[in-house]
Amino acid sequence: MTGFNHRAPGVEWSAASVEATIPLRPVEPASPYPSACVSCGGELGIDGYCLQCGQKAKSLREHYELTPADWVAGVCDIGLVHIHNEDALACQADRTRAVLVVCDGVTTSEASDVASMVGAQAACSMVWGSNPQGTGTPTSRAAAIEALLTQSVVAANQAVIDSTDPASRNAAATTIALALVDGNVVSCVNLGDSRVYWFPDEGEPCQLSKDHSLAQDGIDSGAGRAEAEASLFAHTITKWLGRDATDVTPYHRTTTVTTSGWLVVCTDGLWNFASEASAMSELLGQCSGEDPTPLGLASGLVAWANGQGGHDNVTVACARLVTAGQGVAPSSTESEIPTAPTPVQP
Amino acid sequence: MAVFTSMVYQNEYLGDGSTDVNAIVRITCSEAGAAGQTGVGDVGEIVIVDTSASMGLVNMQAAKDAAMVAVDTILDGTFFSIIAGNHRAYLAFPRVVSGPGMVRMNAQTRADAKLAIASFRADGGTAMGSWLLLARSLFRSIPSLAGRHAILLTDGENHNESVTQLEASIRACLGEFQVDCRGIGVEWQVSEIRKIAQALLGTVDVIPSPRELPQIFQELITRSMSRGVPDAALRVWIPQGAQIVFVRQVSPTVEDLTHRGTPVDPLTSTYPTGAWGDESRDYHISIRLPAKTVGTEQLAARVQLSTGTAILTQGLVKAKWSADPSLTAGISPEVAHYTGQAELASAIQEGLAARAQGDDRTATQKLGRAVQLATQTGNAEAAARLERVVDVADAATGTVRLKKNIDKADEMALDTASTRTTRIRG
Repeated sequence: MTGFNHRAPGVEWSAASVEATIPLRPVEPASPYPSACVSCGGELGIDGYCLQCGQKAKSLREHYELTPADWVAGVCDIGLVHIHNEDALACQADRTRAVLVVCDGVTTSEASDVASMVGAQAACSMVWGSNPQGTGTPTSRAAAIEALLTQSVVAANQAVIDSTDPASRNAAATTIALALVDGNVVSCVNLGDSRVYWFPDEGEPCQLSKDHSLAQDGIDSGAGRAEAEASLFAHTITKWLGRDATDVTPYHRTTTVTTSGWLVVCTDGLWNFASEASAMSELLGQCSGEDPTPLGLASGLVAWANGQGGHDNVTVACARLVTAGQGVAPSSTESEIPTAPTPVQP
Repeated sequence: MAVFTSMVYQNEYLGDGSTDVNAIVRITCSEAGAAGQTGVGDVGEIVIVDTSASMGLVNMQAAKDAAMVAVDTILDGTFFSIIAGNHRAYLAFPRVVSGPGMVRMNAQTRADAKLAIASFRADGGTAMGSWLLLARSLFRSIPSLAGRHAILLTDGENHNESVTQLEASIRACLGEFQVDCRGIGVEWQVSEIRKIAQALLGTVDVIPSPRELPQIFQELITRSMSRGVPDAALRVWIPQGAQIVFVRQVSPTVEDLTHRGTPVDPLTSTYPTGAWGDESRDYHISIRLPAKTVGTEQLAARVQLSTGTAILTQGLVKAKWSADPSLTAGISPEVAHYTGQAELASAIQEGLAARAQGDDRTATQKLGRAVQLATQTGNAEAAARLERVVDVADAATGTVRLKKNIDKADEMALDTASTRTTRIRG
């Protein structure tokens, strides 16, 4: 899989430097369009179409890619049917730490494309800008991280409310899913139905997040997943960010990974096609080529979703976690965690 | 300064797996100004009069009157010359043997040109290729010309040149000047003259009565003098991997341009359109694209009008793949209309050609189809002309009988007018 590796100048949310720890600022790209065609790399005409392949140019809000480090990347795409991209993506990474955030604005609310963007950025910058250790014990540290992540969801909620027009009768709402990688510890929080998956190279894949949706409620009360997710109101979310939200307490989970693998954070634009972790794992295998880079994999998954009709916005963030030698190195010893991407073992 | 605008008529929705995009692009020019007076260069006008023996006294006199009216109508300041043609081409005015072969119109040159025209007498044969080549030399002798137009009057077949000779002369004149051709009487060949007019971006018509000649010359010159944009080209860009199925002017007349493109770059070709006045022309563009995923939107073509390297207007032909049959099923009414009009033109021409070869069966079938299409597309003019050649039993099904006695002039009028199209109703 060849990645597009397209990076538009002036995209302030793509923190190119791994050193960057400054909070991300709200984004107003200088040009609404990228400098080259996303599809073929050709020059774009002033009429908004590629001069080479004729593809309609997507604006930087409609399609953008982030690669904060060689082991972390994400793609956020409008899909083929929607008029607005209400999904948002934010991520940051250095050698051992990474934050991956996706938000999925609720289409039926007003200006949810703005809400998802400010929400994703607010949460990402808060988590990235602080590195709580607690009292130093693993338990205390985990508790401190959980508190930070929960706090970041509150901050995201505030950012969404701040960006909402007070006169809006149908206040913007958005989901959020955030994963923090710190060495071999993955902590995640989510609100709504955006997801975090872990796909170890060996062993069972699993979904780390838990949806707040009527489908999940159905599953919790004993219905089968397929049945619950096929129901008419399956996609109705029961928790969200926004002025009308009553409860922004996220679902939280921390796990220590013991083997190399892929961490994937995505919106339902992807998981609708492969909800079960095992099904998603197969899809990953199908979309990752010989030697997938995180951007290659994210692009491949987005392209695959668009190939199914592109009925929804789709956002995918991937991190390649690699353990050193036997077992998993402690996160405090950076040198023992090589983080360059390596091929997925068949 | 001329203003160009464009409108695109199409159904941009394609079904899953579909590849062909059809669109009508209407290009409209306004504020064109008068020829030679818009600051983009001088214009030249040449009047070519057949002076072969077959013209006889009546037609020759009508042609002289018409040429004088043409000289009166050419605007002062325009470069002009008069060619008298039989089996050779003579520069009747200005009477020069070297140097610039055209002079500017003023009171003196106008009077002198009329004297030259008055001395024409009918004699000799017909060699239109030589007339065209002389016109080319005359136009070339004035380097400041930005627009070059000629009118050519003939009454007979091109007896003194082979088909190959005439075709070589036409080729030599491609892109050099435009020529509107008129045939007087019924002894000339529509197909022969149409070849000249089509290649040199002009019109062809039959003049049934010599009395009408002066007025027709006046109209032709007036129209030419109103074309303030001396030369423009249609530019068609297609995406990589696409191909042009055809490019066709469909209004005011049907002219296939597909094989007249000149590549500008691997994705862009230009097609000659000649001079523009205040007018609209419609182009039917048909593009084949590689099929894309449902939901994809892309351009199928950029259709532009350009003078030199300047692009004056651009119409975007789009393709959007959709799974919704209510979007993909419909054909744009404009595309349907002009598809019918183009088929009407070829049905008439093929029908008449078959009749000329004695193949009444094919002639009946083709002309029947023409009657059907003329009725369906609301081309009342074509329908009326067809009824002078065939007896219509049922227009809806295209059931016709060839008339026993067909007036040759009616048949030629049907042939020359076959490419003329109507605009869509409503």
